Amino acid sequence: MSLAVTSSPIFSRDGLSFIFKSTWNPVKEDYGILPALLGTLITSALAISISTPLAISLAVFSAEIIPTRFRGLINNISDLMASLPSVIYGLWGLYVLAPILYQHVMNPLHQYLGFIPLFSTKPIPTNLFTAGVLLAIMIVPFASSVIREAYNAVPYYLKEAAYSLGMTKWEAIKTLLGYIKSAIFAGMFLALGRAMGETMAVAMVVGNTFTFPRSLFDMGYTISSLIANQFPNAEAYNYMIPALYGGAFLLFIVGLIINIVGLYWIKKVMIKS
Amino acid sequence: MKTGTKLIIIAAVAIVVLISVFVASSWQTSTIIQTTTPTQPTTHMLSGSIDGAGATFLNPQMQAWASKFYEITGGRIKINYQSIGSGAGQAKFREGILDFAGSDPPLKSDIYNEFKGKGGIIQFPVIIGTIVIVHNIPTVESEKLKLTGEVVAKIYLGEIMYWDDPAIKALNPELNLPHEKIIAVHRSDGSGTTRVFTAYLAKVSQDWKSKVGSDFTVAWPVDQLGNGVGGKGNEGVSAAVQQNLYSIGYVETAYAYEVGLKTALIQNKDGNYVLPTKEAVESASKALVRILPKADEDWSNIFPDETVDPPGKDSYPITSFSFVILRQAYDNPVKVAILKEFFQWVLTEGQKNENIVVGYDPLPPEVAMIGLEGLKLLKTV
Repeated sequence: MSLAVTSSPIFSRDGLSFIFKSTWNPVKEDYGILPALLGTLITSALAISISTPLAISLAVFSAEIIPTRFRGLINNISDLMASLPSVIYGLWGLYVLAPILYQHVMNPLHQYLGFIPLFSTKPIPTNLFTAGVLLAIMIVPFASSVIREAYNAVPYYLKEAAYSLGMTKWEAIKTLLGYIKSAIFAGMFLALGRAMGETMAVAMVVGNTFTFPRSLFDMGYTISSLIANQFPNAEAYNYMIPALYGGAFLLFIVGLIINIVGLYWIKKVMIKS
Repeated sequence: MKTGTKLIIIAAVAIVVLISVFVASSWQTSTIIQTTTPTQPTTHMLSGSIDGAGATFLNPQMQAWASKFYEITGGRIKINYQSIGSGAGQAKFREGILDFAGSDPPLKSDIYNEFKGKGGIIQFPVIIGTIVIVHNIPTVESEKLKLTGEVVAKIYLGEIMYWDDPAIKALNPELNLPHEKIIAVHRSDGSGTTRVFTAYLAKVSQDWKSKVGSDFTVAWPVDQLGNGVGGKGNEGVSAAVQQNLYSIGYVETAYAYEVGLKTALIQNKDGNYVLPTKEAVESASKALVRILPKADEDWSNIFPDETVDPPGKDSYPITSFSFVILRQAYDNPVKVAILKEFFQWVLTEGQKNENIVVGYDPLPPEVAMIGLEGLKLLKTV
């Protein structure tokens, strides 16, 4: 509610063009949110697609494969990682992750696969890709703890049944994962929510340039990092606060849509199985 | 779960211990500094506290002044200052929550006029800061690269894209400049540093003035070409400069030296190439004295647009003041007395070298005079 009210001046001044413009020019009080909105979507999509397999495998690994006495340790470490302040991730991302990715991932990708539009920009250590990978690392423990709890909650007789049918460990795991599909979706949606709202860590590694992103290696902005960057001095302008609130409002709407679609999808999957 | 809670408790204890060690050590160092110069308190009756907030840039210096002043008044007067940003500080001051605001730029014209109708304000510089151009060209050493304002503007406009551009080569015939793309780093958060830096570019380049302008945040043309990077805060900019070979950036001078970035010489109005040394800053601020307004006047047209690139053969061109803003009339006579006493001390004793934090430069007496004259206008209603 308050988001809608506070952002109303920018919408009544610029209308929908506020959403589709790509400028951020405080000198002329000219604001458009599109690059930041796209940046948010790109980085979170990248984060989710990298972290989903990792989160599932971490959950299975800790619940099924490692010896019982190390389980507590692994789970505690992963829970601790989920609760680390994001500014720590941000600094680590800026000083450690970004240079590594730049040297060993982005440069080779650009060199050999540069003809694919996704990798066409000559990379710089801080860009959308780095932000996406950092986000993925941040949300893996988060999603995997949800999946792990669900996996451990699978009734024991199901597991026994699977093995008694002569399934290998691998087949049993696949069957059990199918059984907790909805929990996996739920975990990933929670993680997506965190990725979309992440502020400080992203602000440090995303490059922070207000341009329309053309490839994964372009620098960009996300809505929450834009707010983190611009809010402290926003009161010096007439329209910047409404514009930032407008961005937050859009983020809220997009998040809502994704969640509704997600819930609907989970329901469908549940009915099917 | 049990081990989980245990771990959390251990982590919490560790954090508390770390924090207390940190606080204890910083406490010790500050007391050592404070005991070196015992000064007699000027008034004996006054006691109380005042609240201020604003510019982040001013914060370390303001905290040093506040704790020193607390010390010499025997703990009677406490100055609270929170670094919330210049814009937020001005806004809270306008709402009447604060006794004073710290700000990198002075009040904008319309806000100045609004206050003028309500009893008036005074605003005056309390400290000088400088902005230095830094670069990361492996083949060029620190303090060797020479640049003009015009060239820097063209780099950020995206018109000069390579280090071996004829315009840069002409300034540095003896340097080995590579044919590499220039990555132009700038602040991504709104900042007084950007305001002053862009004011300088606007002053030396007509193109910059008409195409971009000057503000806390601007739309950087070089970003549109994909050759710009935004860093959050001074630390973000310096990290970006360090990580990107062949980059250029601008940071507060103290920060550049702290991190060990390579600095560039910049041409001043008289045609000499200078670094932000003590002499260069002093020369710049002395050259400005005659154009600076009085404390109760509107500064918005003067600073920083007129104060950058001052004349003088040694003057450093990108020099900036940090301001304190006060109302002329307060309803509490104790507050008026405290404000007067504190800022008189800041503008006299506070400008001595032992009270200046590393990275800032003191005001020359002529500039400190503006504030001292202004303080005479403070009154109780």
